[in-house]
Amino acid sequence: MCDIIWCKKVKEDGTVCNTVNYLDPFNFWNWEGTIACAECGTVYYIHMIQGWMYRGPEEQPPGTKPDILPVYADKPLEGYVRYRPGVEGRTRPYLCLPRDIYLGVPDPRRFSIRGYPVRGWPNQPPSTGIAGSAGFKWEIEKLSPEVWQEFLEKKKKGEVRDW
Amino acid sequence: MLIKQGKKGLDKKFERIPLEDQPGPKSQEEMDEMKMPYEEYCRKVFDVGNEFVKPTALKGIRWLSTTMYIFTPHSVTNLAELGAEVIKIEMPRMGDPMRHTSPFNEAYVYPLHDTRPMTGTGVACFNANVNEYYISMDYHREEIKEAFYTLVRMSDGLTQCYRPGTFDRWKQSYRYLQEINPRFISVWGGGFGYGPKIWGGSYDILGQAHAGLASITGFHEDFGGHPTKSTNWNIDWYSGTQITVAILAALLWRRKTGLGTKIEFSQVQASTRCLEYGVPLYGRFGIVRQRWGNWDTQLCVHGIIICGKSDYPNDKNPQLRDEARYVMVSAFNDPDFKELCNVIKRPDLYEKYKTHKQRVEAEAQVEIYHELEKWAADKSRSEVTRILKDAGLLAMPVYNDKEVYESPHFRQRGTVRWQADPWYGDAVVHSTYSAGLMSKTPRRKFWDLRPVGGDNVKIYHELLGIPLSTIKEWYEKTII
Repeated sequence: MCDIIWCKKVKEDGTVCNTVNYLDPFNFWNWEGTIACAECGTVYYIHMIQGWMYRGPEEQPPGTKPDILPVYADKPLEGYVRYRPGVEGRTRPYLCLPRDIYLGVPDPRRFSIRGYPVRGWPNQPPSTGIAGSAGFKWEIEKLSPEVWQEFLEKKKKGEVRDW
Repeated sequence: MLIKQGKKGLDKKFERIPLEDQPGPKSQEEMDEMKMPYEEYCRKVFDVGNEFVKPTALKGIRWLSTTMYIFTPHSVTNLAELGAEVIKIEMPRMGDPMRHTSPFNEAYVYPLHDTRPMTGTGVACFNANVNEYYISMDYHREEIKEAFYTLVRMSDGLTQCYRPGTFDRWKQSYRYLQEINPRFISVWGGGFGYGPKIWGGSYDILGQAHAGLASITGFHEDFGGHPTKSTNWNIDWYSGTQITVAILAALLWRRKTGLGTKIEFSQVQASTRCLEYGVPLYGRFGIVRQRWGNWDTQLCVHGIIICGKSDYPNDKNPQLRDEARYVMVSAFNDPDFKELCNVIKRPDLYEKYKTHKQRVEAEAQVEIYHELEKWAADKSRSEVTRILKDAGLLAMPVYNDKEVYESPHFRQRGTVRWQADPWYGDAVVHSTYSAGLMSKTPRRKFWDLRPVGGDNVKIYHELLGIPLSTIKEWYEKTII
């Protein structure tokens, strides 16, 4: 379940924007700042507490820089018109990233808590096989040499443990 | 001298019993084992961490898994851990929805599929689909039907979780598959099964709620409680294991008769098995069992109490800072209860409730647990545990995941351990050994997960012999 901003801004050509900007609960559950409409770019101030719209949406003066873009928006009155995640300047990409305990900061992991490498970050190179077939082993030295180097350094420093 | 009657018993011919038929150890090694202290013997025969050198019980069994989430996948992962070759079939480019489900709909391991490099898989998938080969297949497409039926001909069984009748409509249900493979065991696992609620879907919470389990979980409303579901999907894990039991029985039946079986498994039905005495109680007296929370209706003291101080007062994680305050205490027989009353300096409680029959009454439990928590109000969880253990009573902290991870007992037995997943890297795992130790054919884990369609060539080409050009074409048409 998420809240929305239904933008009713009247555009220059006299039509109403009528775009629904979705506020995904993972980012906006406790959130304060400005967000732009994916269609017309009107910036709104919102303050959400525990998933509830405490203040807003309040339209901001033109030229206000938004803190964030919605991840998805659509125009339900016009059939299947929508902005999928990652449309430049309109929606932000959905990176599917885990965050440090709900602080809103992406926290892709390269190492487990004991210091060994984990394949925990996008964008991974494609498989080399046919039809998405993957090799048996993650050849970390070849596919992610920088992580492998970091691992070797960690090992030297004694930051890699058994448990 | 050890003698036995010969095979032709009537000719009165006697012969020596061969050494291997005589009771007792057969070799120096077995002799040594018999002399070992039991603890050491267990360590030697189970040899935790060295399971890969031992044989597997289900080697030679091939199973198809067209399953999703936890419930039905777990029924098959049990087979895979025991050595069966399992082929997991997922929707092309999407995969099992569980990959995208939790926790918090976020991903933790990458990649999911070549076409979606920015999408990963949630760690909640871990432990539910281990050791399986991952192929993709869109059953709706006619081009792939023959490959599916060929897999059926070459396999021992299939577990599926689609709505009742869906596989039948697609001509993939037991009555169609047994025509091409009479030894085939076909499993359906889902919410309700046939009956008035046949179309109901299946969820763990549904199992807990509809089976009557949630109504007796948690504290009574008088104590501020509500019917409670377990936070994790334990009825999914439990019901999946129940299916595995049925599969193993069906395999044995097939060995005797040469015939397959249809297994129909309703999750809401499976969890009624946990209702304990609730149902017979109703049948006898018409009484509906009440929730009794962290206490016990049959034993007192035998419950969980809250202490005043956390074991991690300064930790930033509230689960540790605020929640690490619970202790399980058991002192229900008379001498133990007397000792407990002495420890908390309330010997009068023992005088008041001298017999177990007296203290198991509801009003007595309310008073006793209240006094226990009053005593623990200025103590931390570890203090309470130490004091009670020193008095010879059973007391254990209520562990969280961190403490399960750190438990030396679990580490020594392999219950929780680190293992490098060949594809996704380092992971702490808790499957295989948590399902029991086996000296000869232990469970094992080779890998947790693979990308969607990661074994397309291995299965379609190497097993079924489909040309690579066809596989490429199917891939481009998103048939696989």
